[in-house]
Amino acid sequence: MIPDGQTLSYDAAPAFSTPLRFFITAPLFGAAAGAALLAAPELLDSRWTPGALAVTHLVAVGFMLTVMLGALFQVLPVVAGAVIPRSGLVSTIVHLAMTIGALCLAWGLGSGSHGFLMPATVLIGGGLALFVVAAFLGLRRIPVAQATPRDLRIALLGFAVAVALGITLALALGGRLDLPLLTVLKLHIGWALLGGSGVLLAAASWVVVPMFQITPNYPAPLTRFWAMGTGAVLLVWSAAVYGELGSAEFALSAVLAALCVLFAVHTLKLQRQSRRSVPDMTMRAFQIGMGSFIAGLASVLVAQHSEHQVWPLLAGILILHGGFVSVIVGMLYKIIPFLAWLHLTQDVGKAPNMKKLQPDSPIRRHLALHAVALAALLVAASVGNAWLIRLAGLLVVAEFAFLLANIVKVLGNYRRAHAA
Amino acid sequence: MKKTVDARGLEPPQPFELVMDALADLPKGESLLLLLDRMPHPLFRILDRDGYKHESRIRDDGVVEIDILNP
Repeated sequence: MIPDGQTLSYDAAPAFSTPLRFFITAPLFGAAAGAALLAAPELLDSRWTPGALAVTHLVAVGFMLTVMLGALFQVLPVVAGAVIPRSGLVSTIVHLAMTIGALCLAWGLGSGSHGFLMPATVLIGGGLALFVVAAFLGLRRIPVAQATPRDLRIALLGFAVAVALGITLALALGGRLDLPLLTVLKLHIGWALLGGSGVLLAAASWVVVPMFQITPNYPAPLTRFWAMGTGAVLLVWSAAVYGELGSAEFALSAVLAALCVLFAVHTLKLQRQSRRSVPDMTMRAFQIGMGSFIAGLASVLVAQHSEHQVWPLLAGILILHGGFVSVIVGMLYKIIPFLAWLHLTQDVGKAPNMKKLQPDSPIRRHLALHAVALAALLVAASVGNAWLIRLAGLLVVAEFAFLLANIVKVLGNYRRAHAA
Repeated sequence: MKKTVDARGLEPPQPFELVMDALADLPKGESLLLLLDRMPHPLFRILDRDGYKHESRIRDDGVVEIDILNP
């Protein structure tokens, strides 16, 4: 019997274009977030400004969720053995719905035109619902005993809860519901970042880190219990938030933070045991990501006992840009050239070396720019200087443009090899 | 003596490339033993397409062993 997360069924891999369309449009949303900072630096005055909400969702929905859904179209069949029915058609509809929905959401939140929030919720909610139904249909014959397929299911449920809470918030903002906004907002953030994105990251890492970073496997108790344990604590935390039990909420937040730190520390520890003599760029991206998660979680806990506006901002920058964006970028630099290589091998029988499809030096330059942009964002948010925020925004635009250029270069190399 | 290709501990797609090179030098009627960290599903499809016979098993320590015969 192969241990959890070891079996890869490439035969069920979908067409290259299925995940690719998500990967190509996602960096445009990241660049748009940077452009918003460049044009309106005052949006970082607090986490509650309309501009800050727009930028957050450009990154969280337009970049993160878009890439994650695109990757899931690939990961579910290849790693979990799940065949998504009509994956080409489903991915086209989901991609269109998420792209237009993310634009409407960012515009509606940023401009205060709440009329845009209704189409945004219909498109994002509908797109995600379609994906979740298709994914569960694909997963229905896959045993729940395997860590990655089981945890992917938990992540999909987490995303569904987060989007449902987001729709509730949009209805409340539009005056259609009378709700305690802060309470629903806390639940929305918790489920989006941890129940959905965090659990998905862990489920993917159980396979991707040992396979691509040549490390030992994660400890079996961690892969067996981490996602379920985190989901269970998140449920109890949600009850404490809803019941406005302040001290219980803080204690449970600390437990959730400890669970996240446990995952981050194990990942860093495994990377130190890698059989690589020199860390590659994906490993560097993960190191930036895990370090940022740990610092971001500390900022979340400090923010709960501080009135200062800067802590929630720093937490958001560290977790979204430093944590998720770093790790997602690191995975993209493995996934895209690998898929190009795999499809070339299957279609034409022979593929160039992966380093020729995706050389290291542009990735190294991009990651250096990403790290500089992260540092600039943190300094700019702490100091609150408009010109520093503009500079940080410019760096964010540049880093996402660089990412897109690197992806397009791989596709160019793929097309040339395919035509040769 | 049967040739052994140990492709464990390598990043994809290096194991695939290593075994394809070994198969190119495998005379008719001879076989080789391939050692891997995981089941190589894309390799199986290529082996079937090119007429090789193969049999795989998983050792207690999780290592995947595949006998490949060039008939």
